Amino acid sequence: MDSPWDENSDNNVIKDTEWSRISSEFTNVGYREGITAGKEGALQEGFDSGFADTGAPIGRELGLLRGISLAILIFLQTLPVIENWKLVDEATDISSQLSRIRFSDIMPRDLEAEEHARQHLEAEGVELDENEEIAAKRDVEGIEDMLANLVAGGATSTSSSNRPTVEDIYALKTRLSWLGERLKLSFDWN
Amino acid sequence: MDPDFDLESLVHVEQTFYEAGYADGHAHGRIHGLIEGRALGREKGFEMWEELGFYEGFARTWGAILVKTGKADDRANQHIRHLLELIAQFPRVNPSSTSASAASSSSSSTSPKEEEKDLDISKLQRQIRSRYKALCSSLGVRPRLLSAEIAALDREDGSPSPQEDTGMNLDHDGGDGMGKRMAKGSVIPVWKIDNATGTRKAVTNQDLNF
Repeated sequence: MDSPWDENSDNNVIKDTEWSRISSEFTNVGYREGITAGKEGALQEGFDSGFADTGAPIGRELGLLRGISLAILIFLQTLPVIENWKLVDEATDISSQLSRIRFSDIMPRDLEAEEHARQHLEAEGVELDENEEIAAKRDVEGIEDMLANLVAGGATSTSSSNRPTVEDIYALKTRLSWLGERLKLSFDWN
Repeated sequence: MDPDFDLESLVHVEQTFYEAGYADGHAHGRIHGLIEGRALGREKGFEMWEELGFYEGFARTWGAILVKTGKADDRANQHIRHLLELIAQFPRVNPSSTSASAASSSSSSTSPKEEEKDLDISKLQRQIRSRYKALCSSLGVRPRLLSAEIAALDREDGSPSPQEDTGMNLDHDGGDGMGKRMAKGSVIPVWKIDNATGTRKAVTNQDLNF
């Protein structure tokens, strides 16, 4: 026979499960809505810092070099070929190497983003979604690399891992300033 | 049922659970917002300033070339001077942040309303581009085309878009003073290199998986 006390304990079990169901349900709803609000509230702040701290200064640096190299190249092409073909070659090479560089080649790593992605990966085994537009851009770059490899044939099969680096920019900048000195062009580099 | 059961306290407890969850979610969402916003801002800042830097480097170098070749009083030199002046006015920090945060009140006290500032940026950008093109034609040089410009060439009708927006403001929740600038439908416009066509892309509207 069941003891009359058992009924009471059954009741407690039901109450306990009900309790945890309610608690997790409301906590989850709150969590979801909190995530959306927190994310939207921080997007602009993140945008502004990425713009000012990373994107704008790096873009300006690369843009300056590209503008300088193109102007020098065009100028050299107006000079007599016989005396200047070596300089034209050099300016052409610098210019074309600069034009190959992508932001993804030279942007600094976002360590906080990497760390957070790693935490998600460890906790859930899922990789974080990248922003659609940026992911699409990277996809296009991947296809460009593939095509470049096809065109280049097997000889340069390593070229996909052969993307330009920040060091390459410094080297190109040095070569460019040598060209500028050689042509006795005086301007401020910053 | 327990006769002492207090419905009031249950309602209150639901609220407490909700708030605890909300606070945790908000902190987590903030991390995601910062990360995704940063990624977008980096791309946009790079895109904008690569273009401006190119004009600047191009103009300064030609300036030096004109000096060297004794053509410093050339018409091209005027374009160079104006172009460099315009570029110097262009913000390296997203101007939306100056009005959003009280910390940078130094500039926001004198600056006009956000809408006017935004308009100024796209206007400044148009001025810079046309000045660059004028410089190129005075030098007899073909201007560099931006990829977005090439795509937009056939769509160009010259009439300014009424909803022109530099898209550097990602806020779309209609909250304090921001919503008035945004288009209905709450898509997030992102600054596009060709903003004469008024096309917008919604980029951050999709939900992340958490």
